Amino acid sequence: MSALRTASGRTVAVARPAALLDRDAAAGVRAMLPLLVAYAPFALMVGAAVAASDNPLAAWLSTWTIYAGAAHLVTLDVLAQGSGWVAAAVAGLLVQTRLSAYSTSMAPDWATATLSQRLLAGVLLTDAPWALTRARETGRRGFYLGAGLTLFVAWPAMVTVGALSGDVLSGDPAAALVPALVLGCTVATQLRHRPVLVASAAAGLSAVVTAPVSAGVALVAAAVAGTAGGMLADLATRGSLPGTVAS
Amino acid sequence: MTVALAVVLVGGGSLLLRVLPLLGAARIPDRVTVHAGRAGMAVLAATTVRTVVQHRDSSLAGASVTAPVLAALAVGVGLWLAYRGRSLLVAVAAGLASYLTLAAVLAART
Repeated sequence: MSALRTASGRTVAVARPAALLDRDAAAGVRAMLPLLVAYAPFALMVGAAVAASDNPLAAWLSTWTIYAGAAHLVTLDVLAQGSGWVAAAVAGLLVQTRLSAYSTSMAPDWATATLSQRLLAGVLLTDAPWALTRARETGRRGFYLGAGLTLFVAWPAMVTVGALSGDVLSGDPAAALVPALVLGCTVATQLRHRPVLVASAAAGLSAVVTAPVSAGVALVAAAVAGTAGGMLADLATRGSLPGTVAS
Repeated sequence: MTVALAVVLVGGGSLLLRVLPLLGAARIPDRVTVHAGRAGMAVLAATTVRTVVQHRDSSLAGASVTAPVLAALAVGVGLWLAYRGRSLLVAVAAGLASYLTLAAVLAART
C-alpha cells in the first residue's frame, strides 16, 4: 500500500504488489513478536480473572470480541464487586471508546480496501498493532495485518494459559507495569511531532487529575484533553487546523 | 447469566466501535482522522501515566508514595530509550530492569 494524494487533496492508500504486501506483513509479525513477551504477564492476569468469574466460559469466549485486556479486566472486576451487568457493560464500553478513535484514524489507509479487508482490519484492532502501525510511513496495510493477526492468535492463547494456570502473577507489581510501559514506548517514538507531544502531555496531565475516577471516564477525558492540546499545537505552529489551507 | 450479558454487550459494542468507522472510511474527512489519531495517542499516554500514578507495591516502605515514584523513574527510563530510537523490547526491558533494581536497592536499605 502506498499513499497517493488525489485531485481533491485527499490522501488515500493505493494497492501494492503482493510481494511488497507479504514483506510488509512479515515486518508486522516481526514487530509484534517481542511485544508478545511483554504482554504475556498481562494476559495471564486477564486469564486468572476469567477463571475466577462466575461464568468462566462466557468470560473466556469474550476474549475474541472484547479483545482488550484492560476492558476485559474492568468488566470482570465490576461484576465481581456485585455492581450488576449494566454497570459492568458501561464500564467496559467506556474503556473501549478509544477503539473508535483508532479506527477513525485508520480510514485514509483503508478507504480503498475491500469490505472484507476493512472488516478484518476492524476485528484485529487493538492498542499494540494500531500504535506500531502509526510509526510506519509506507506499507501500513500489510504491516498492520501481520501485526494484528499475530496478536489475535497469541492473545487468546496466553489468556487461556492464564485461565488454566490460575492467579500466579497478579501479585507481582513489576509485571503490572509492563503493558503500560509497552504502550508508553510506542507513544514515545512519535513525540518528535509537536502536536503529538502536546496531545500526550495534555492527556498525561488529565490522567493525573482523573486518577481517582473510573478508567473509562478518565480515558475519555484524556482523549478530549489530548485532541484539544493537539489542535492548539496546530494553531500555534501553522496558524491553521489540520486539513485546512492556511491563507 | 450476568457475566454472559455483560461480556456479550461489551464484546458486541467493542466490535461496532472497531468496525463502523472503517466501514465508512471513504466518507471520513482527513481532518477528522488526524484528530482521531492524536486522540488515540493521547489515550495511550494517559494509560501509561494512570498506571504509574496508581502503581502500588506492598514490598516497599511507604508504598503509596514510593511505588509511584519508582514506577515513574523506571517508565521514564524506558520512554527515554524509546524516544532515542532504541527498539521497543530494549526500552521495555530497561524500564523493567530499572524498576526491579531500584526496588531491590530500596528494600535492602529499609
